[in-house]
Amino acid sequence: MELLIWLIPLLPFIGFLLNVFVIRRERTAGLVASGMVAAAFVVTLIAVGVLASMPPEERRIVSTAWEWINTGSFQVPFAIMFDPLTAVMALLITGVGALIHVYSIGYMHGDPRVVRYFAYLNLFVTMMLFLVMANNLLLLFLGWEGVGLCSFLLIGFWFERKTAGEAAVKAFVVNRIGDAAFILAMLAIFTYFGTLNFYSEGEGGALGFLERVGDIAGLRVGPNWQPIFVSTAISFLLLIGATGKSAQFPLFVWLPDAMAGPTPVSALIHAATMVTGGVYLMARTEPLFVASFTTQGWVTWIGALTALMAGTAAMAQWDIKRVLAYSTVSQLGFMVAACGMGAYVAAIFHLLTHGIFKALLFLAAGSVIHGTHDTQDMRRMGGLKDAMPITFRTYLIGALALAGIFPLAGFWSKDEILAHAVGHGHTPIFIILFITSLFTAFYMGRQVALIFFGTQRDPSYHPHESPQVMTVPLIVLAVGAIIGGAINLPVLHWLTNWLEPVLHEKAGAFNLWLALIATVGAVGMGYLGWWIYTTNAAKIKIGGKDPIYRYSGDIWEGMAEAWYLDRLYQRTVVAGFERLSDFLARVFDPQGVDGLVMGVGRFFGGLANSLRAVQTGYVRTYALVFTVGVLLVIGFMLWIAR
Amino acid sequence: MVPTSYYVLLSAILFTIGVLGVLLRRNAIVIFMAVELMLNAANLALVAFARERLGVEAQVIVFFVITVAAAEVAVGLALLVAIFRTKRTADVDEVSTLKG
Amino acid sequence: MELILFLITALIAIAGAVAMLVSRNAVHSALFLLLNFAAIAVLFLLLQAPFLFTIQLTVYAGAIMVLFLFVVMLLGAEKVEDTPDRIAWQQPLALLLGLALLVVSVVVGLGGATNPPPESEALIQFSDPRTLGALLFTDYLLPFEVTGFILLIAVIGVVVLNQRGRKI
Repeated sequence: MELLIWLIPLLPFIGFLLNVFVIRRERTAGLVASGMVAAAFVVTLIAVGVLASMPPEERRIVSTAWEWINTGSFQVPFAIMFDPLTAVMALLITGVGALIHVYSIGYMHGDPRVVRYFAYLNLFVTMMLFLVMANNLLLLFLGWEGVGLCSFLLIGFWFERKTAGEAAVKAFVVNRIGDAAFILAMLAIFTYFGTLNFYSEGEGGALGFLERVGDIAGLRVGPNWQPIFVSTAISFLLLIGATGKSAQFPLFVWLPDAMAGPTPVSALIHAATMVTGGVYLMARTEPLFVASFTTQGWVTWIGALTALMAGTAAMAQWDIKRVLAYSTVSQLGFMVAACGMGAYVAAIFHLLTHGIFKALLFLAAGSVIHGTHDTQDMRRMGGLKDAMPITFRTYLIGALALAGIFPLAGFWSKDEILAHAVGHGHTPIFIILFITSLFTAFYMGRQVALIFFGTQRDPSYHPHESPQVMTVPLIVLAVGAIIGGAINLPVLHWLTNWLEPVLHEKAGAFNLWLALIATVGAVGMGYLGWWIYTTNAAKIKIGGKDPIYRYSGDIWEGMAEAWYLDRLYQRTVVAGFERLSDFLARVFDPQGVDGLVMGVGRFFGGLANSLRAVQTGYVRTYALVFTVGVLLVIGFMLWIAR
Repeated sequence: MVPTSYYVLLSAILFTIGVLGVLLRRNAIVIFMAVELMLNAANLALVAFARERLGVEAQVIVFFVITVAAAEVAVGLALLVAIFRTKRTADVDEVSTLKG
Repeated sequence: MELILFLITALIAIAGAVAMLVSRNAVHSALFLLLNFAAIAVLFLLLQAPFLFTIQLTVYAGAIMVLFLFVVMLLGAEKVEDTPDRIAWQQPLALLLGLALLVVSVVVGLGGATNPPPESEALIQFSDPRTLGALLFTDYLLPFEVTGFILLIAVIGVVVLNQRGRKI
């Protein structure tokens, strides 16, 4: 059994190695890469089966490969584990991952560096699996950094484009801020718990820190006039880490720019898996968060505000992928808010369904881009539903799922979050999230109308449907989007029960009124969005402004710019750094450092120059100095050296 | 009886005159002569002390000093002559090319 | 009696030295120095060292000063210092230092004015050249031989240094 779970991350890793060292042809690369991930999916299913056959309290397999770090009191084994939470994450990663690999075979066809692309994708899957399967915080961090690295490599895959390189760097740097907090959290956890392990390795082994959070109950840290609880400090640091990786306010600015990478990358990394790493982290370290009331408040509000901000921004975008990017940020906000309210199962549920339909939307968008010869501006599209029927239908299903229309997957998961908000008295949060869901439906309706309805506004291309290798994954994902809600239906609660050993939650009651209101609202707003942009289709000019602009004015502009957060960073942080670098390079280095080094030399040169005057060349002056010396010596001998 | 210190005083005066000679004169030969004067002053002091202590060893030292002074004068003057052949002058200030 | 002799001789010695210092002509300087050496020789005699008196006259006055005079005549370097001194502060500073040196040595020298021992058997033996000779050929034989060697080297050196047409 232990060997079985090691296969899960190892198979994609072997794929990575093969693609780096052995494979040269595009066809082989795609097949091997997809095959490895698909095989990993199968192994994951088997592992889930094994897990299901065990009694619920014992469902956790831990396996250590070797003693990674072994220095006195700091011990970190290279250990992975497999429990219910890890299982669902792994299924998502390998399942959706395999479909995206297959899709990439079609999308990246003909690219000169396609073998490298598949290598990076496989490495990414490996790292993401290590992230979710790690049994200690350091190995999780390894995976965390690894996916960050792959994100960087893949966003900047087409590095000939300046925007791609800049976006990749931006993603990495913003992530780094979260990582710094993560490292501090690790240090704090080690200080107070003495170990970074999550769970004990077997019978009678030392407990991991998640099993003894009670150890730090009541401990305070900080200055005497304002101490805070240790649990608050640690969980807050972890929250900041999650904020960076899961693109929450104020660290979400990298995600829209990350769309410069290939679309399958956006689907896999920036929709389904990497960005959900933060949510997974919070779910995994749930005992720490539950212990701190303060942090939970922060988590909830950050999530809700992010959801609203990004939701409004998505309404005003023209680029097909940027709409989906902001939408992802918004939905992540939902998940984070759910975690903050203690509804971890709902968060994971939404994570899973969102992973499916967001990946579907991105892949379908990729199909649109592919079929319109690399057009991404929606003002250039229109009327594509007849030319690309499969893409249209799957996109529509994805849009309906995202909007939360009954009975698609998104409805069930989003509703569970909203129900929890109402049921536990978080009224302001509920209002924010509800309004955001209305906006979500609106901008999806808008997008569907702009792309598929009306007439084609840009005549320069002839649209066509994508090849089967791309449309089949779309269909598979669409089926998933339709039936995905079955994972956690209100009465059956399969997921809640499955995750109970890890997250310790009991299922909530089903709120029928809320479900009805939400659905009606979503349908209404979705239709409104669709209606506005089909009736005003004639007013949409290529490169022109949004028709709503007439009525809303500058607010629309603010939404389009995501409330100018990017510009704020540019003016303050980036400009400050540039000025500092400029100063260092132009002033400090040549004048300061060089001046100091050269100054020493120059000083001695000057000193030597002035001392040169002593060598007059005249014997008699030397004799004079001689005499002075003699007098001094005599004086010394007479009066001092008695 | 003449006290020893008178001899020492005389020796000091002669030595000082010798020093002044070295510092003030520019003719190389005269400088040399002043050096000889200094040596003699030292010899005088040595002999005076020898007489005070009735120690003949000091006179032995004087004997050797005189001998070596003779050798030194010979070589020094030979050098001077050699320099004069190139420089055409015995002015010590002219020999000043080794300067900083 | 002895004191008067001493004073006269001392004065002559000093006069000779000062005259040597002052005169413009190198030949005059040499001759005044000769006078000084003679005075010192007399002082040696006064100090019960007849052998040294002889040596002083023979070697210093007789040989060394003659050599000096030869070289002066050979080089024609009598009147060298007609031009004014190039180093401006040399003279005042030198005079100052000379004065300091004089003061210091006087202070030292006059501390402890002791009288020499009176006439005695030991004194007679002391002034006997035989005593000096005995010491020279027994205890100080090595330095004696070495000085001979030094003289040899001096001769060789002089010859080498003055070869014409050959660089030093």
